[in-house]
Amino acid sequence: MNWLNWLSDFFSAPDHRSGPDSIVHRVSEHLLLSGEALLYAALLAVPLGLLIGYTGRGVTAVTALAGAARALPTLGLVTLAVLLAGVGDTAVLIPLVALAAPPLLVAAVEGVRGTDPDVRDAARGIGLTHPQVLWQVCLPSSAPTLLAGFRTATVQVIATATVAAYVGLGGLGRYVIDGLATRQYAVTVGGALLVVLLAVGAQLFFTLLARFALPPGVRAQRRAR
Amino acid sequence: MITFEGAGKRHPDGTIAVEGLDLEVPTGRITVLVGPSGCGKTTLLRMVNRMVEPTSGRVLLDGTDVAQLEPAKLRRGIGYVIQQAGLFPHRKVIDNIATVPYLLGWDRKEARARAAELLELVGLAPETAKRYPFQLSGGQQQRVGVARALAADPPVLLMDEPFSAVDPVVRAGLQEELLRLQSELHKTVLFVTHDIEEAVRLGDQVVVLREHGRIAQLADPHTLLTTPADDGVAAFLGRDRGLRGLGLRPASAVALRPVGDGLRYGGWELALDDAGRPIGWIDRTAVSAELHPAAGFRPETDTLRTALDAVVLSPAGVAVALDGDGRATGTASRDAILAALTPTGATAVGGIDANADESSDTNVGTGPDANAGAKADAKTTVSTRKALAADGTGEAGTTDRVGGPEGSDGGR
Repeated sequence: MNWLNWLSDFFSAPDHRSGPDSIVHRVSEHLLLSGEALLYAALLAVPLGLLIGYTGRGVTAVTALAGAARALPTLGLVTLAVLLAGVGDTAVLIPLVALAAPPLLVAAVEGVRGTDPDVRDAARGIGLTHPQVLWQVCLPSSAPTLLAGFRTATVQVIATATVAAYVGLGGLGRYVIDGLATRQYAVTVGGALLVVLLAVGAQLFFTLLARFALPPGVRAQRRAR
Repeated sequence: MITFEGAGKRHPDGTIAVEGLDLEVPTGRITVLVGPSGCGKTTLLRMVNRMVEPTSGRVLLDGTDVAQLEPAKLRRGIGYVIQQAGLFPHRKVIDNIATVPYLLGWDRKEARARAAELLELVGLAPETAKRYPFQLSGGQQQRVGVARALAADPPVLLMDEPFSAVDPVVRAGLQEELLRLQSELHKTVLFVTHDIEEAVRLGDQVVVLREHGRIAQLADPHTLLTTPADDGVAAFLGRDRGLRGLGLRPASAVALRPVGDGLRYGGWELALDDAGRPIGWIDRTAVSAELHPAAGFRPETDTLRTALDAVVLSPAGVAVALDGDGRATGTASRDAILAALTPTGATAVGGIDANADESSDTNVGTGPDANAGAKADAKTTVSTRKALAADGTGEAGTTDRVGGPEGSDGGR
C-alpha cells in the first residue's frame, strides 16, 4: 500500500503538475535528449553500417568494436565527457550516442548482408548501379533488421538518459536523483516508473511499426526465415 | 550475334574456369550451353553482360567488345534470368517487371502498361500484378523473371539455369512457354543448363562443354542425338538418345488412314461417340463389349515420340490422330508410325511390316528399350501389352507436353 501512496503523492504534487519540474516538462526533456542522441547515432552508424555491409569490408572489425563498445561504463563516460566538454548537453550526448551507435551499426551491417544474394545478383545483372542496388534493394530488405536495431538502441537510450541529471541537466533522472538526495522516495519511485513506461512504450512502438509499416514482401520474407 | 573470341577466365588463385573459348551465338536463335557442373558454362554466360570479366580474349556483342561498354548500360540492354528468379521481395510483381523501364527513365504509367502487357505474354493472370513475389509459386516467379528480362525488349536474353529449381511438370510448361515466346519474339538467347534433355528440347544449337569450357560438340539437337562426337558426349547424352530424338520430330510426318476408310484393325475396332471423339477399342473376338483405352496424338503439335507412345499404349497397336477438339481425324497403324520413324533423308525400307522391325531399328539407332517396344508383335497381344503400357507411361511424363499456355503452374 505504501507504493500506491507514494505514487499518488508523486502525481498529485503541485510542482509536478506545472512549472519546470512538472511531469510533462520532464518527460519532454527526457524524450528530446533521447531523440537527439538517437539521431546523431543513426546519422553516424547507419550509413557506415550500410556501406560496410554492402562491400563486406571491415565486418569483423565492426562486430568486435560493437561488442567492446557495449562494455563501456556509461557513468564513467559521462564523467569523462564532463571533464572534456564541461557541463552541458554534449557531456550527456557523447555517452548516449556511444550507447546507441553499436546496435544500429550492427543492424545496418547485418541487414544488408542478409539480402538474398540471388536478388543482389539479379539486380546487378539487369543493370542497377551499386548505389541503386544499395538503395533500392538492400535498404528495403534490411528494413526489419534496422528497425530491430532502432528498437534496442531507443530502449537503452531512454533508460540511460537518466544520467543527464547526474551532471545537473533535466529529464526524468531529476526525479530519481533529487528524490534520493532529499529522501523523498515517492519522487524517486515515480520518476523510475515513468522511465520504465517510456521504455516499454518505445518497445511497443517499434514492434507495431515492424508489424504494420514494412512493405508486405519484406515482412513475409522475414517471417519465412 | 554474340561472339566469344578466345574468352577465358583464370581466377586470382590460379584455377582456370574457362581456358579460352571461340563460339558464335547466332542472332534470333536459341543457343544452349550444356555440361556438368564446373564446366564454366555460367562463367561464359556472365561474361556477356560483364558480371564476369574475361582474363583473356574478349566477348563481342554485334561486333562491339562488351568491355568498351559501361556495365549498367550494357546490362539494361540484355535480358537476364537466373535460377531463383531473384525478384525484389519488397516490390509488387508489376513493379518487378517494370524495373528496367524505370531504370531507363520511362514514364511510370508507360512502364506499368508495358509490364502489364508482359504479364499477359508470359501467361500470368492480370491480378498477379498486385501480388508480391512470396505469394507466387516457383513457376510463376520464374515467369515473372522472364517478363522482367523482356520488359525493355532487349534483343539478347541470357538465361542461367532458369528452370532448374521447379518440379518437372512445371519445368516442361515453362520450356513450352519459352519456345512459344521465341517463335514470336526471335531473341538471341544464350541458355545455360546441366540438363541435356532441356538442352535438346530448347536449343537450335547445342554446345556440349567439358571442364574448363572446352567444347566437346557443337551441333543441332538432332545431329547431337544421332551422331555424338565421341564416347564422352554419348555417355553424357545418356541412354535412349535415338528414342528421345523422336521427340524433336513432328508427328505430322505420319501417313494417316482417314476415318472414312474404316475403323477396323484385325480383331479390334475403334468406337467413336456422336461427335467423332474416340471412346475406346473393342475386342471383336471377345464376348463382352469391354472398351480398351484408345491412346491418341495430335499430328499438328505432337512429336513422333508421342505418336509412337500412343501406338505402344494402344491394345490394337494403332494410334488415333486427333484434332484440336479431340475428334478422331484418322488412324495410324504401327507400320505407318514405323515408316515415319525412318530418319529424314533416307528412303523408307520397302514393304515395312511387323517383320521389318530390326531394319527400322538400326536406321533410327534406337537403344534396347526401343527394341523391346518395336518387337511388340501383333501375335503376342495380351501378355506383352501390359508390360509395354507400363513402359509407355513411365516415358510419358517426360515427353508429353504438359501445362497449357495459360500458365497452369498451380496456385501458391
